[in-house]
Amino acid sequence: MTPFRLAWIVFRKELLDGTRDRRSLLTLLFSAVVTPLLFGAMFTVIAERRKSADEIALPIAGAEHAPAFVDWLKQQTGVIVVTAPAADAERAVRDRTEDVVLIIDKDFDRNMARAQPAPVKLVSDVTRDSARPKVARVRNLIAGYSQMVGGLRLISRGVAPLVATAIRIEEVEVSSSQQRLATQLSILPLLLVLAALTGGMQIAIDSTAGERERGSLEPLLLNPVPASSLALGKWLAASLFGFGAVIFSMLMTINIMRRVPWHDLGVRFTVSDADLLSLLALVLPAALFLSALLLFASTFARSFKEAQGYLTVLMLVPLLPGMVSTAYPLSDRPWLAPVPILGQYALSADVLGGKPPPLASYVIAGAVVVVLALALVALTARLLRRESIVFGR
Amino acid sequence: MIAIREARKRFGDVDAVRRVTFDAADGTVTGLLGPNGAGKTTTLRMLTGLMTPDGGTIHVDGTDVFADPLAAQRLMGVLPDSRGLYPRLTAREHIQYFGRLHGLGGSDLASRVDRLIHRFGLDALADRRVAGFSQGERTKVAIARALVHQPRHVILDEPTNGLDVMSTRSVRDLIRGLRQEGCCVIFSSHIMQEVSALCDRIVMIAQGTVVADGTADDLRRQAGRTDLEDAFVALAGLDVEPAI
Repeated sequence: MTPFRLAWIVFRKELLDGTRDRRSLLTLLFSAVVTPLLFGAMFTVIAERRKSADEIALPIAGAEHAPAFVDWLKQQTGVIVVTAPAADAERAVRDRTEDVVLIIDKDFDRNMARAQPAPVKLVSDVTRDSARPKVARVRNLIAGYSQMVGGLRLISRGVAPLVATAIRIEEVEVSSSQQRLATQLSILPLLLVLAALTGGMQIAIDSTAGERERGSLEPLLLNPVPASSLALGKWLAASLFGFGAVIFSMLMTINIMRRVPWHDLGVRFTVSDADLLSLLALVLPAALFLSALLLFASTFARSFKEAQGYLTVLMLVPLLPGMVSTAYPLSDRPWLAPVPILGQYALSADVLGGKPPPLASYVIAGAVVVVLALALVALTARLLRRESIVFGR
Repeated sequence: MIAIREARKRFGDVDAVRRVTFDAADGTVTGLLGPNGAGKTTTLRMLTGLMTPDGGTIHVDGTDVFADPLAAQRLMGVLPDSRGLYPRLTAREHIQYFGRLHGLGGSDLASRVDRLIHRFGLDALADRRVAGFSQGERTKVAIARALVHQPRHVILDEPTNGLDVMSTRSVRDLIRGLRQEGCCVIFSSHIMQEVSALCDRIVMIAQGTVVADGTADDLRRQAGRTDLEDAFVALAGLDVEPAI
């Protein structure tokens, strides 16, 4: 019996045991289904909000005071004018029955005729994030009308309207739409790392701390099997569950992401299958490392509960940089490649940003995590032979 | 044939095993008798290669347990102190798993597993998950998986602990059967009747040392008592009332 053949036997047993464990299947399902759904929902809400700014129902009180202005508003695309009672405007906004209300003063037309600023009131609530795009839209509409009428007044007085424009702003957007999408998508590598962790966690705990808690480690070690074969088999089983969770999670996320109304966010969803395979090429080796880390840490625990305590803290370490990277993108930092997990986040950001890193980066990032994983497996094997671990219950 | 010479083991400043020397011959049942905490389990853990002794040697059929623990483990079937099972595996899968780890497979393994299941009267339970098994049924599975490679040396640490009458009887039958097959059987117990009923030879351990070694008659003679239990108490030094 070669050590690898023995590891294979251990691997098969752990797999059988794991697939019969409702808890491990549930965590797998959770990471694969629930989290992508959650993020899909999040993006959809953001998109809906933007969309609600593009097509607005604008409640106007006192429309009869400014028929020309209201007619102009009605002609703007995506604007539907509805009447609102002026008396209730503030309360309606405060009660959130309306996002914004435009009140036109009774002096509007008179001031307009005298070329004086025509008064309107814009009622809104600054603390309401969801109403902000709509309020901005309305403000832009008013400013547009104001500028147009102002321009016409200048022309009628024989002055070129451009005289009134001292500065012309030309906005230059440097990020490509793909890059803007990448910022939104930087959540994806985080999701995949989370999936690798939750997927492998249950087997990692059950096959180490679980063996100790049940008292099945001592009988297991009485078989003529090198501890390295045991550690190897258990690690591969945990890794396979991690792989499963990563692939599941990716398929789910992509399916959901393809249904998010991205065009309402002003970007095109252009993540190709090749990009997805690149992400897998980055995350799967990382899953090997993460499973080994979980396995090693839970070997110290005497019970399932103790191990869960260790791992919930430990899991934050690879997740934190991922969370931070959603706010401060890690793209364009190829030198991060050899740093475990951080490298994976950085290279994933480049893949999603449409700037695929060179093959060498994949090889370096992968080699580092695989070597570390093997080192952790070797350390786990040594732990399994330690008397305080075998008999410390 | 098992030969233990001057085995020692210390935990911190506690001498768990001070000096244990005995032989266990093939075709005989050697009983390791001693009060709780005497060092029986530690001795067996060193014998089975899970603990490294601080001194002394242990050989199984000439194989040095510390030099080549895996080779020695191949020669032994062990029911250790902790006999945990995997709740989600069936009785059959437990025996198969250990059989495969011993390098068995195919129809050979299948027929061995069938025979063991039958021998332990587990036929009706064989394909059920062990989660709902009774203490006796669990012990049977634990012994069965330890015997799947047909070891010539069988080591049982307190095999009847927590078993009811019927299960205890079937364990005793098993031990007698193994002796008949010519196995070298060592089992530890703190129960006098069990040891006297089963053992060809008794090794008494107290406070980490062998205090007596021989047949039940030898022990009675050595202690100068007619009752084995009295002899046990005298030899183990338990009759000395501690000074208060």
